[in-house]
Amino acid sequence: MATTALPQGSLRQRNPGSKKKNGSPFPEDVQVDSLVKPSPKATGTGSELDYKIALVIITVLAFISRFWGISHPNEVVFDEVHFGKFASYYLEKTYFFDVHPPFGKLLFAFMGWLVGYDGHFHFENIGDSYISNKVPYVAFRAMPALLGSLTVTVTYLIMWESGYSLPACVVAAGLILLDNAHIGQTRLILLDATLVFTMACSLLCYIKFYKLRHDPFSRKWWKWLILTGFALSCDISTKYVGTFAFITIGSAVVIDLWDLLDVKRVGGALSVPDFAKHFAARAFGLIIMPFIFYLFWFQVHFAILTRSGPGDDFMTPEFQETLSDNVMFANSITINYYDSITLKHKETKAYLHSHDAHYPLRYDDGRVSSQGQQVTGYPYDDANNYWQIIPADDNKEMGRPVKNHDLVRLRHIGTDTILLSHDVASPYFPTNQEFTTVPLTDANGDRINDTLFEVRIENGKKGQEFKSIASHFKFIHNPSKVAMWTHETPLPDWGHRQQEINGNKQITPSSNVWLVEDIPSLPADHPRREKPVKEVKRLPFLQKWFELQRSMFWHNNQLTSSHPYASQPYQWPFLLRGVSFWTQNDTRQQIYFLGNPIGWWIASSLIAVYAGIIGADQISLRRGIDALDRRTRTRLYNSTGFFFLAWATHYFPFYLMGRQLFLHHYLPAHLASTLIVGSLLEFVFNADAASEEATYQAIKSGKKAAPGPKRFVSARERFAGTSMMPAWIACGVILAIAAAGWYYFLPLTYGYPGLSVEQVQARKWLGYDLHFAK
Amino acid sequence: MADNRATVASGADANGQALRQRNVPTSATQGAVVQPELDEKKIHGKKKEPSFLEILDEWEFIIAPVIFTALAFFTRLWKIGLSNIVTWDEAHFGKFGSHYIKRELFFDVHPPLGKILVGVSGVLAGYNGSFEFKSGETYPEELNYTFMRAFNAFWGILCIPLAYYTARELNLKRPAVWLVTLMVLCENSYTTISRFILLDSMLLFGTVATVFCWSKFHGLQKWSFDPEWFFWLFMTGLSLGFVCSIKLVGLFVTALVGIYTIEDLWHKFGDTKMPIPELAAHVAARVTGLIVIPFLVYLLSFALHFAILTRSGPGDAQMSSLFQANLEGSEIGRNSPLELAIGSKVTLKNMGYGGGLLHSHVQTYPDGSNQQQVTCYHHKDANNEWWFYPNRAEPDYNPEAEPRMLGNGDTIRLIHTQTGRNLHSHDIPAPVTKSQKEVSCYGNLTVGDDKDHWQIEVVKDVSSRDKSRIRTLTTAFRLKHPSMGCYLRAGNVNLPQWGFKQIEVTCDKSNNPKDAYTHWNIEAHTNEKLPPGDPGKYKSPFFHDFIHLNVAMMTSNNALVPDPDKQDDLASQWWQWPILNVGLRMCGWDDKIVKYFLLGNPFVYWASTASLGVIGLITVWYILRWQRGFRDLSQAEIDQIHYAGLYPILGWFLHYLPFVVMARVTYVHHYYPALYFAILSLGFLVDFTLRNQKQLVQSVVYGTLYTVIIGLYVYFMPICWGMTGSNKDYSYMKWFDTWRMSD
Repeated sequence: MATTALPQGSLRQRNPGSKKKNGSPFPEDVQVDSLVKPSPKATGTGSELDYKIALVIITVLAFISRFWGISHPNEVVFDEVHFGKFASYYLEKTYFFDVHPPFGKLLFAFMGWLVGYDGHFHFENIGDSYISNKVPYVAFRAMPALLGSLTVTVTYLIMWESGYSLPACVVAAGLILLDNAHIGQTRLILLDATLVFTMACSLLCYIKFYKLRHDPFSRKWWKWLILTGFALSCDISTKYVGTFAFITIGSAVVIDLWDLLDVKRVGGALSVPDFAKHFAARAFGLIIMPFIFYLFWFQVHFAILTRSGPGDDFMTPEFQETLSDNVMFANSITINYYDSITLKHKETKAYLHSHDAHYPLRYDDGRVSSQGQQVTGYPYDDANNYWQIIPADDNKEMGRPVKNHDLVRLRHIGTDTILLSHDVASPYFPTNQEFTTVPLTDANGDRINDTLFEVRIENGKKGQEFKSIASHFKFIHNPSKVAMWTHETPLPDWGHRQQEINGNKQITPSSNVWLVEDIPSLPADHPRREKPVKEVKRLPFLQKWFELQRSMFWHNNQLTSSHPYASQPYQWPFLLRGVSFWTQNDTRQQIYFLGNPIGWWIASSLIAVYAGIIGADQISLRRGIDALDRRTRTRLYNSTGFFFLAWATHYFPFYLMGRQLFLHHYLPAHLASTLIVGSLLEFVFNADAASEEATYQAIKSGKKAAPGPKRFVSARERFAGTSMMPAWIACGVILAIAAAGWYYFLPLTYGYPGLSVEQVQARKWLGYDLHFAK
Repeated sequence: MADNRATVASGADANGQALRQRNVPTSATQGAVVQPELDEKKIHGKKKEPSFLEILDEWEFIIAPVIFTALAFFTRLWKIGLSNIVTWDEAHFGKFGSHYIKRELFFDVHPPLGKILVGVSGVLAGYNGSFEFKSGETYPEELNYTFMRAFNAFWGILCIPLAYYTARELNLKRPAVWLVTLMVLCENSYTTISRFILLDSMLLFGTVATVFCWSKFHGLQKWSFDPEWFFWLFMTGLSLGFVCSIKLVGLFVTALVGIYTIEDLWHKFGDTKMPIPELAAHVAARVTGLIVIPFLVYLLSFALHFAILTRSGPGDAQMSSLFQANLEGSEIGRNSPLELAIGSKVTLKNMGYGGGLLHSHVQTYPDGSNQQQVTCYHHKDANNEWWFYPNRAEPDYNPEAEPRMLGNGDTIRLIHTQTGRNLHSHDIPAPVTKSQKEVSCYGNLTVGDDKDHWQIEVVKDVSSRDKSRIRTLTTAFRLKHPSMGCYLRAGNVNLPQWGFKQIEVTCDKSNNPKDAYTHWNIEAHTNEKLPPGDPGKYKSPFFHDFIHLNVAMMTSNNALVPDPDKQDDLASQWWQWPILNVGLRMCGWDDKIVKYFLLGNPFVYWASTASLGVIGLITVWYILRWQRGFRDLSQAEIDQIHYAGLYPILGWFLHYLPFVVMARVTYVHHYYPALYFAILSLGFLVDFTLRNQKQLVQSVVYGTLYTVIIGLYVYFMPICWGMTGSNKDYSYMKWFDTWRMSD
């Protein structure tokens, strides 16, 4: 059970005698209000000019740092292979498959469309030249660079909106500005710029929304609620790690709702219908609406990709029928009884095969076989792959189509034997049944039942016609209900190293799926092979989306293979390892994706400091020692706590992920960590707030003190009279050393200039595996 | 679900805590613990002559458990020897028991205590350990397998009275106590699993016993430091040690007790009136009782393991070379030359915890260089043998010449005896650990380059300070690849299926002399030119062996991941368990075989799973009401929800979620400890909703529940007691296609 008391809880415990739940909840909420800066209207003065100037300077610097030398290198870098390719597919309207949702990729395609690019280049290899292939790659890269620059601005605005002093805002935004990882990742055709930007926007919008809580259901309140939802939706529609932002905002909303539910809430208890209204508004703005947007991007995706393409194979035949120029449907033919067919295993691409050789009597492990004729899987075209399909009753009626769930028999044409399965263990699997063939006399005699198989078309309807290529089916042995199955381990030499075919008792797995590849008994010019011009079919959107979604999740889970530059979550906060993006041998240039080590170490150590402060505060409160003043604590728990929550929810879930992970997965969490740096800087250097405590005492004693509950207290007002000098000095020092680290690693970020061996060696701080170190 | 859960937990806590804190100075909170007894006494005080019914009533706490236990004896032991073949995992655990009887070292992923007990049961049954326990084989005449099974069933039987007293201790009313006991008694899966030579009945007993001791300990909260309090604290510790020494699943119940303890101490920490020494005493008592004692028990089980297994057996290769040299009948260190020379044929042992023997086989890497694989392997095999050869700059090895001794700094080649290829490394990333270099076997005596060279760097030698010689068993050395400057390393990373899940061998560029995974020693050593010696006189320390074996257990446990290429009929997935989606065939399904099917009592499974959600909703409901200013519950009721309702749910999550996250192959019986917690939750839920209802309502509801549970138990009894004849006769039980008790 969670034992950490919430701040309110701890306060409560200090007054054990009080019967009231919250000793005096009223002033507390005033404190909460002072977390956030006044809206310009409230102060109504131009006193925030310094904030505005800093904002402009930082934004300009951000644009310079992101756009500087963006045309270098003029070659395909790292994952541009994927995302550049996807943009080209969108522009060519050919269907492709990817595990990420479409929004981020659509943005690139939009950029390409704006500059009139036709998508002829497919970004096949890292290092392919953009110049000789005439790709408007600068335009492509400008899109993430734009979002990357604005991310710095948004970071600044988050701190400003949260009511932090100017040095705190500058230090947080400065650490993003001077971060090599953010720069490196946002100058290339990658999705992370969109991801980090939308994540930051969702935090900003939520803070704006939260500040308007004394004016619920107003126009502005709705505006920021919906914008929060929209930012979240774009986040999750870029990559699924966007879910973490939902967890961050969701947790904050739950805490907020919990306070709204409180009967002793400031401004009176909400009635249950009022509360329900609050709840419904949030559910609509933060769940339903984002989900609709999310679906919308898929609708755009389907609307653009109307032509058959490399992604066809990932989809079901029904889906593929909706794509134009699809090869599969052009070539699919209805199968009639007494056709001879070739059957291909979908997963291993092997044909059902048999030849005039028998299973050995005894296998190596001592088990015995039936010594029947071998049935194997063979990957090449061969006349021994031809099987004639015969109805169960053998009625000799020609021209009758095979239908789903029909009972059929297969005659091996080469040896004139009938396929059969029986309760004899297969060569490799004692649990699976052996497949063999028997001569016609046996097959029509007492073994007749064992030769019957059922054709079960995947997702098929009753009575549906059995077609070549288009119908994926399972071949179920009728008496024993095992599915014909094969796997990649080759048989020993007696089986000519071909694949084992056996009967699998587990019918469900998709590895049991087969398809009819061709009908060799039909001559090439047979009328049944004529292709009538087929109309592209339509499927309901939700069905298409659901199928694609399932396929995406399934393939995402398969991404477990190792990558030379993959890293573990524990390595990220310490920046133990980067990723090599691109190298060029003649100029000794390289792009090595790596954060600014100094910036990252400062941020990570301050997270530890924050956790330490909270831990120490909880422990001392537990022992009845109260070292912090009320306002500082509320701020530390609510505002900095929110940033910490954002960091934790964007970091820890990665530990549970089995897939391959890279350093860039830490970028959203890193952004949250710089927010913590900013707020701790203020906590350390401006924590003195004696005057506040006096005000608090005044409120506590029942006087209606000057600031009404709807009045925000700005940072300026809070720190009136307090010297900002120490904070500025600290800010200057942090940014100066961060800038030094940033500058030092710039050649690895921009890929320019090339470095000498000594220079590379000097940058291998934690044994970073840089190239050209020798 | 998880979210929901989190809010429940923290919310309920804040709730309970706040109220509890206010009452710290008073002692009224204990009311919940003692009140029921007081009530009973009052009632009895009014009457003068106790009637027969009243005597029954008074002695219920003895009579009821005795009756339940007697029934358990019947259901667990009836016809226990019906099937005379080795059933399901008896093949493993029976075999391990045999190894203990024969005192031959073996290796298994589970800690030793449970298997030692199986061995004990074999000894008691007069079994000499000679049977191999091959799956499906008929037990020989002289093997009293019935006794061995009964021994295991005994642990399963003990769960029933413990469940009874646990429910009592959790302040459930009498009918609810009976309900809980009945659900444990009439659980088909518990019945079946207890009737074979398996570890699960002991594991279940350990879990149930721990919860019982914990509930006793919790009940004595207000009597801290009383002898009785200490007794139950130490009993909790002992049972924790017991359950962890059976299977590592015991760590989950340890986590439950750990969380309880942390919460308890956090309360005490907040009680500023408590003197610091007393607080320290609380902490010290718990550290001793709940950490030190379980660990000692665990350690003791391994000490027993090593003390019993003094002979060489199939598990030798998992242990360090020195350990093996001290086993009876081991060839390691017997009659092998003391010092290494060119031309020696050796096996090389990795000295890291859980390290294996350097191995190669004809299979090649599927990617990278596509050359012959080099791995670390834990079984003795001719493919582990290597020849020390001169490097390519030196003249060829001349078998006739005087042996040239090897020492620190010599550069040599290692040739795999079976394939004649050289141990080789090159600048290609290793297959799994991509940051290190691949090691392969390449070329032959004549074909090759200087990438076949390895330089010996002596790290230490337990028998001598002289580094000019390499000594069998005692010298630890590293093998450096001179042309790339990396070191041969085997870091307990399993290769995928193409490498047969053996350990990956790499060449690591980081030069860390302390990294034991780069240390190697000579294990088997033959060289006809050299005089045989007896190098194995140094004993390896117990703690070293203990850690070594534990690391080896973890490593092979991690290798038990589901294999997409291999279809496992028996395995099931986590989501199938709480809804009783599948059962498990424990043996062949032939008409001649007595068939056992592992499936639970459907009502118990479904109702207990539902109760988890319902309790969660009830808790959320009360928390929301509390925030709205309603005070529906007394402190006693809150405590009751907290300890009798939420702790079992927490226990359920702790025993269930790890299997959700875990990547290894899972089976239905992995759910059984979790099921016990679900049963406790259901008991609580029924008790909580009915305790203030009219007597009539209670009688009707409880009566129905009892009838349904017993009825279904009897209905499904054949799957526990064994189904004889055609499986078609039992198709009436096949409610769903996935319950495959008949074809």
